[in-house]
Amino acid sequence: MRRRTSPVITANIAVLASALLLAGCASSGTDGSDAVEPAASEPQTVQLLAHDSFVVSDDLITALKEDTGITLEIISGSDAGTMVAGAVLAAGNPTGDVMFGVDNTLLSRALEADVFEPYESPELTSVVPALRTDTAEGRVTPIDFGDVCINIHDASFTDIDAPSTLDDLIDPTYRDMLVVEDPGTSSPGLAFLLATIARYGDGWTDYWAALRDNGVKVAASWTDAYFGEFSGGGEGTRPIVVSYATSPPAEIVYAEEPKPEAPSSSVMADGCYRQVEYAGVLAGARNPEGARVVIDWLLSEGVQSDVPMSMFVFPAREGIALPAVFTDFVPTIDSPLQLPPDDVAAGIAGWLAEWGAVMGR
Amino acid sequence: MTPTLPGWLRWSWLPPGAFLLVFLVYPLAVLAVTVTSDSGGGVISTLASPTLWQVTGLAAGQAAASTVVALLVGLPLANVVSRYRFRGRAFAQALVTVPFVLPTVVVALALRSLLGDGVPQGLVLVVMAHAYVNLAVVARIVGAQWAQHSGDYESVARTLGASRWRAFVDVTLPSLRPAIAASAAVVFVFSFTSLGIVLLLGDPTTRTLESQILRQTSVLLDFPGAAATALVQLVIVSTVLLLGAAASRRSATRRSRPPALRPLPSSVSGRAAVRITAVIGALIVLAPVAALVASSLRSSRGWALSWWTSLGSVDAGTTRLSPPSEAITTSLTYAALTALIAAGVGGLAAIASLTSGRSRIIAVLALIPLGVSAATLGLGTLLAFGRPPMDLRATGLLIPLAHALVAVPLVIAVVAPSLRSTDTRMSAVAATLGARPTRAFWTTYGPVLRIVMVAAAALAGAVSLGEFGAATFLGRAAAPTVPVQIVRLLGRPGEQSLGVAAVLAVVLVVMTLLLVMLVDRWATPLRRTTAQENPA
Repeated sequence: MRRRTSPVITANIAVLASALLLAGCASSGTDGSDAVEPAASEPQTVQLLAHDSFVVSDDLITALKEDTGITLEIISGSDAGTMVAGAVLAAGNPTGDVMFGVDNTLLSRALEADVFEPYESPELTSVVPALRTDTAEGRVTPIDFGDVCINIHDASFTDIDAPSTLDDLIDPTYRDMLVVEDPGTSSPGLAFLLATIARYGDGWTDYWAALRDNGVKVAASWTDAYFGEFSGGGEGTRPIVVSYATSPPAEIVYAEEPKPEAPSSSVMADGCYRQVEYAGVLAGARNPEGARVVIDWLLSEGVQSDVPMSMFVFPAREGIALPAVFTDFVPTIDSPLQLPPDDVAAGIAGWLAEWGAVMGR
Repeated sequence: MTPTLPGWLRWSWLPPGAFLLVFLVYPLAVLAVTVTSDSGGGVISTLASPTLWQVTGLAAGQAAASTVVALLVGLPLANVVSRYRFRGRAFAQALVTVPFVLPTVVVALALRSLLGDGVPQGLVLVVMAHAYVNLAVVARIVGAQWAQHSGDYESVARTLGASRWRAFVDVTLPSLRPAIAASAAVVFVFSFTSLGIVLLLGDPTTRTLESQILRQTSVLLDFPGAAATALVQLVIVSTVLLLGAAASRRSATRRSRPPALRPLPSSVSGRAAVRITAVIGALIVLAPVAALVASSLRSSRGWALSWWTSLGSVDAGTTRLSPPSEAITTSLTYAALTALIAAGVGGLAAIASLTSGRSRIIAVLALIPLGVSAATLGLGTLLAFGRPPMDLRATGLLIPLAHALVAVPLVIAVVAPSLRSTDTRMSAVAATLGARPTRAFWTTYGPVLRIVMVAAAALAGAVSLGEFGAATFLGRAAAPTVPVQIVRLLGRPGEQSLGVAAVLAVVLVVMTLLLVMLVDRWATPLRRTTAQENPA
């Protein structure tokens, strides 16, 4: 055996080495060709990079084609974090023309890598005042916003009062009732961690230690928490979950016919974390003109009216009529918690490590 | 008694070599250049962190346990399903493949609703899930070799007074060692690099390097850290695969016959043993599937068909879900392309492993994709083939190519051990009688190749049907696969989301069963005819 193995390994190394060498040449070849102006490829097509939650009605895409001649090719699939990671790695020679779905948690990392090319949409003037200037010096455009909030399964709180603040969640009354998502693997989980940091400052680790001692359960993903553990979502047993402010109306929309008149869960208005989703023209896009048109389209009345029911978020544009399930069942979140994107980018690695240490994960 | 191999065989490593160079080495090199041009220091500091090595140790222990359990359950199944002729055998053989294609999130939810709080999240549950998912790997790889096993030596041993057990341990097991080693290596690697199951069913003690890589990539955007972790994973997995390949090369016996199904044992206890194994195996596989069927037919108002009837109307007119028929077509097309590419590339690599010297290395190199982190390869492929000058996304080939990368190692694991333990005396006889080497080669290996290539292509198609990671990295919204649709549905609230996801999972199970049974059928006529040629 020994006699056989050693030439194999030697040859192995040789092949690997030559492969690396070849690859090295290949990639330097790519670098060289970058200097050459890329051929303009079918200017009527725009590639939109989006995360896997991006949904838009087909007739809006048809209307875009009719109005502007642009064929929209949506490239989506991965979660927002992975999408931004890909965009950061491909900065300057992007894998699409325009990107939708980078949120305020990830924005700084994308900006640091110069992923976006500045563009100020004329539609920006119609955006709600709070978001109108939220453009990172004109590099991104806010498209929608939503809140990550505690959801409560009402049926479990007929005898006792439901929790109404973050502080309540560490009260022994609510022992073993809360399920949250791991901030290292789940976007709402991370938003909830950021909410506690925004609320408690340096005391956030103490808060999480108290949650731990009060029997909080950590699930890997939103799906697992909501359908697996939450009593209001599926077969779970815990009546309090970290989800979205719009989960109750979604419960009605995606219920069996005939739809129930009211959702079985409600939203706790305190301790919500505000997520804003942005779109931007990717630097080095093959079709920057088309990309700009698509950003205007994302802010148009048609798409903005579509946003609530297709993605369960709120439109960034002012004066868009909200569907009844939104006005009836989503409470007004007066003072959502938020952290500046730069603070998030600087702190996230340390926070996740500290959170892991507190929670023993 | 080495037969003269045809000259073209010396070049059979070329196509698989080119395939690996273009679709594995090149994307990884592009990624490596992109990452390290920014900072190389992060790589070193991650390599020095104790967390990395702690996770490595934990994952290795978990993977070893998963491998042992998968072998303990899979070997009896391989024996029954691949050797005996009984009513429902083809169905049983297809059934074994089902766990392998179910999206992990579906397996996780099904196992949890089945076991309740009886088995808490953690190592035990993760090991059970890995054994469940990898049953097909053991049953297919070992089964392909066991089917060619003549049983002559066992008969001799029994005649000489050995007990049934002794004959099995001393004769059968050693002759199966190549296939067992090959499948054990694959199961270990799958469990060691597992992501979905570990996240959904595990606890802090079941972390894997792959889960670290995902966090470093998608949450922290710590690319040097991810590169270091991916490197460690690659080295460990390559080592395990090399050991597996070495162990599977030491073929104990070269005596076998063309594969043939045998009638059930004549003794009552023998018959009972085969039947009981088949039934228990079916129950293990079907229990989570039954849970899925139940959730596809149940709503808060009781039993109902509404999820099935709403399949076509859910999210109609939006980009979220294309009509299910389209997703099914997409999935089947990718599966067929994957089976073709993987069978071609993997088959040639396995044939190359017959020759001596350098070209045999390709069979080992082609196993490497199993060790490359899916997130890493996904990003690398995106950078290499997702933008000019080479944007292959519009061709629709990127996903089947990525699936083929994962499937090629399985094809080799199925084909190579069987080829190596093929009786080469036929070839020698043919050569003596004046047959040209190529003719002699097909006389010898043709029948075996036909059987094992079919098994391998089925497994490759199954990989493609169930794959989720690459489909998300490289997919286009316009053409989601069935697993992608399932995961999208499970990403939003509502009874309907859960119900329709269960419907799609059942559809996926049925597709897999049909595909595998169809493919297996090609091999059956051959088996029937050869079954009559009993060994002298």
